[in-house]
Amino acid sequence: MTTTTTIPRSDIDPYSDASILSPYEDYRRLRDLGPVVWLETHQVFAVARYREVYDALHDHTTFSSGSGVGLTETLNKAQKGSSFTSDPPYHDYVRGLVARHLKPKALEQFHDYIEGWAARLVDELIEKGTFDAVTDFAQAFPLAVVPDLLGWPVEEGKERLLEWATAGFNAFGPLNDRTKAGFPLLKEMSDFLQRMSIPGNLRPDSWGAQLVSDAKDGKIEEYLLPGLLGDFLAPSMDTSVSALSSMLWLLGSHPGQWDQIRADESLIPKAFNEIIRIESPLRGFTRLVTRERELGGLTLEPDARVLLLYGSANRDERHWTDPDTFDIHRPGVAQHVGFGHGIHGCVGQALSRLEGHSLLKALSTRVRSIEIGEPTWRLHNTIRGIASLPVTLRT
Amino acid sequence: MKLVVDRSRCEGHGLCEAVAPDLLRVDDGFATPVHDGDVPADQQDAAHSAVEMCPIAALRTA
Ligand code: HEM
Ligand code: SF4
Repeated sequence: MTTTTTIPRSDIDPYSDASILSPYEDYRRLRDLGPVVWLETHQVFAVARYREVYDALHDHTTFSSGSGVGLTETLNKAQKGSSFTSDPPYHDYVRGLVARHLKPKALEQFHDYIEGWAARLVDELIEKGTFDAVTDFAQAFPLAVVPDLLGWPVEEGKERLLEWATAGFNAFGPLNDRTKAGFPLLKEMSDFLQRMSIPGNLRPDSWGAQLVSDAKDGKIEEYLLPGLLGDFLAPSMDTSVSALSSMLWLLGSHPGQWDQIRADESLIPKAFNEIIRIESPLRGFTRLVTRERELGGLTLEPDARVLLLYGSANRDERHWTDPDTFDIHRPGVAQHVGFGHGIHGCVGQALSRLEGHSLLKALSTRVRSIEIGEPTWRLHNTIRGIASLPVTLRT
Repeated sequence: MKLVVDRSRCEGHGLCEAVAPDLLRVDDGFATPVHDGDVPADQQDAAHSAVEMCPIAALRTA
């Protein structure tokens, strides 16, 4: 076995506009440079290969989330207290409070409601003719379903929610103009969450109202409420929007595979995983190294910040055969790290799957072909996703 | 070798059962190892795959 002692360096900037719009070539270069690469522009280590991303995610003691999962220490200080940004035992406690509503068993009672919603949306869009994959399809779903289950009051507008979530996720990246533009929005979101933490403001019997009443009964510390309510809202928006718009783009551009799904519904779960793998909505989060540790034969020192690039791991040719090819039959596709992995693995993944599967089912029973135009891509620090894409559904 | 489910972490995502149906059952929202978690000699690879597959690290071998 050869051991490399020096960590390769690179001037690749994954947060530059060019890299955000077309990230996969830069990811490949980072993977080829080594298992760990020093990013000169941001003074952090990038981990771009599958094996090392997986290993880091499964060693949460060394690769800690407690001091934040964003790129800069300044912004990390502002994002404490959620499941994302905590370590056990506190992490397991707050995650449990969110997970009790989001685990597969708990979601069973909502299957009919979500499938019904999906069927109505697809019917409307068939009726409409040409529409936008992002604003008319992908945003409609997370905006309608999650806030409703959380207990969003009917008299409060939801139009700001997407902007808040976008601002929140930009702030996991560098302190650039994109992040700074979001600061006023973050303030608004935080005020809103404070207001929703007051008993009586969320719809009775909702997930959120239960958290608020648990706090009133002394089962949860009250100061945790805004963060816990936020755990349902911020991470469920742009991630889902990205996955659902990529879904139309990928299936529209692979009509042969769309025909196979229409002929055999049992392909839907694998197809949804393959969509998350090849266009991973969350590009990457960081961890702070708490003790000396080898990763891929290279030594990381305590206090190093490492950027785990999920979107790159999911296209690592060391792990996947033909990673740049969309293939709904891909063996082992469920091993992707598009929902993360390990103790911070996405707590909303069952809900995302339910959303994605319901929409695929509604489409496959009604739509013969998905005609698409040219996509444009979003400029966002941590989300990979389509900005707009014209689509027509033919029955 | 034994398969152990951490009941405080398991959320019942069922990915373990999908790769090792002879070793685990997801019932009532939790994974339960069959035969008390004892893994037969010819199922060791399946047990490791199940551990690797659990998306939230709720499963381990002992
Ligand atoms: C396709 C949609 C989604 C994608 C791609 C996605 C992706 C991810 C990823 C990669 C992580 C791991 C973060 C890390 O490693 O630090 C994560 C965690 C998380 N996700 Fe999602 N997510 C999605 C939908 C949702 C939804 C719908 C919700 C809530 C309703 C949600 C709530 C969370 C929360 C609270 C965490 C933190 C869990 C923890 O730290 O224990 N996500 N998600
Ligand atoms: S995959 Fe993990 S979380 Fe899911 S049922 Fe199995 S042990 Fe539980």
